[in-house]
Amino acid sequence: MTDFDFNVIWSSLPFLWQGLQLSLLLTFLSIIGGIVLGTLLALARLSGIGPLAIVAATYVNLIRSVPLILVIFWFYFLVPLALGRPIGGFYSALIAFVLFEAAYYSEIMRAGIQSVKRGQVHAGQSTGLSYWQIQRYVVLPQAFRNMVPILVTQGIILFQDTSLVFVVSLRDFMTASSIVARTEGRLVEMYLFAALVYFVICFSGSMLVRSLKSRMAT
Amino acid sequence: MIDIENISKWYGDFQVLTDCTTQVAKGEVVVVCGPSGSGKSTLIKCVNGLEPVQQGRISVDGDDVTAKGANLTALRSRIGMVFQHFELYPHMSVLENLCLAQEKVLKRPRAEAVARAEKLLARVGMADHAAKFPSQLSGGQQQRIAIARSLAMDPIAMLFDEPTSALDPEMIKEVLDVMVELAQEGMTMMVVTHEMGFARKVADRVIFMDNGAIVEDRQTAAFFDNPESERAQDFLSKILDH
Repeated sequence: MTDFDFNVIWSSLPFLWQGLQLSLLLTFLSIIGGIVLGTLLALARLSGIGPLAIVAATYVNLIRSVPLILVIFWFYFLVPLALGRPIGGFYSALIAFVLFEAAYYSEIMRAGIQSVKRGQVHAGQSTGLSYWQIQRYVVLPQAFRNMVPILVTQGIILFQDTSLVFVVSLRDFMTASSIVARTEGRLVEMYLFAALVYFVICFSGSMLVRSLKSRMAT
Repeated sequence: MIDIENISKWYGDFQVLTDCTTQVAKGEVVVVCGPSGSGKSTLIKCVNGLEPVQQGRISVDGDDVTAKGANLTALRSRIGMVFQHFELYPHMSVLENLCLAQEKVLKRPRAEAVARAEKLLARVGMADHAAKFPSQLSGGQQQRIAIARSLAMDPIAMLFDEPTSALDPEMIKEVLDVMVELAQEGMTMMVVTHEMGFARKVADRVIFMDNGAIVEDRQTAAFFDNPESERAQDFLSKILDH
């Protein structure tokens, strides 16, 4: 025990902070993009327009059947091929996360949309609102509110998953911790610290979910 | 104004409406009653196209509701509907509930929509509650607001689907009072209800339904004084003598 040296954490804090910023930025942008795209997918599946629903359902089922790491690889290698120029690890990872998470968010939003009472749609229809106006002003706000706890939970999982971006050599918090651990030869200290940081962030998120749930229950 | 001609409707193999025909003239108040499951709610939901019919024809003010490609959104904006469970939008204030369709469908400027909303809230006795949310109000208050929300669209006719069935007894009167006033002002109304006192007081005609069919369609006094069919007699004796 005596030869543990936690000073290495202090001295490398700026470096680690940069990594954490990248992790948080990637999480934040992926949540936004994933929810937007996921909501569109959910609307498509529930639209009652056959081909649109099938395409959306196929997409969701396909994405949910492959490991995230594979999707990250795909976009790292495929997007530059498609565009004819490299776009960098960050953007390819962001695209991968948005497209991957959208499949999960779409299932959450689908459940949320279905949780809104049918009578609400009838009320909207009876005043002459169009299908899209009803979705936009009546159904989605309620669906979203009903699903906030689950959406946040999915965001916590997403935050943990961003550690996978090391495969495309992005320097997120986990990767930064690994680099420090290896170059300084302080594996135990750094990995303990990394675990602590993940725990604090994710546990705070869980507490947020709990308080949201209890607030909604009243 | 409302013309219902020979409509039939099925849910799968189950026939919910069988060859229903009736009319509601401008300014007329028609009460639709009958045992539960008799198809009365379904019938009025067909009038504004919330429920499609498989056979027959419905027109409102000359516009065919049942035609393929009918412009239902335009049509519905002219027919108000009040629901059993109010169906106010829970995430919006009372004022926003009244303004949404005015602004999005009728394209009324905000100030005009708000003015109209406030006037109608005052009319249903809810002027002080514009900033509240539906969950802060009693059922009777919510239903009066729902009526105001429909009236904000300046409808040519109003449909009521059991507007007092979900209310506590002491709140029924406040809602019926609003409806009576509306009827006396000459609004064309189709009302599904078990409130026979309301029917006697303001209905011009009463339609009695059973098993998806219109069994009686008569002047109010005639319906109450000597119902023709046994089923209507039986129904009346059950709900009037309890």
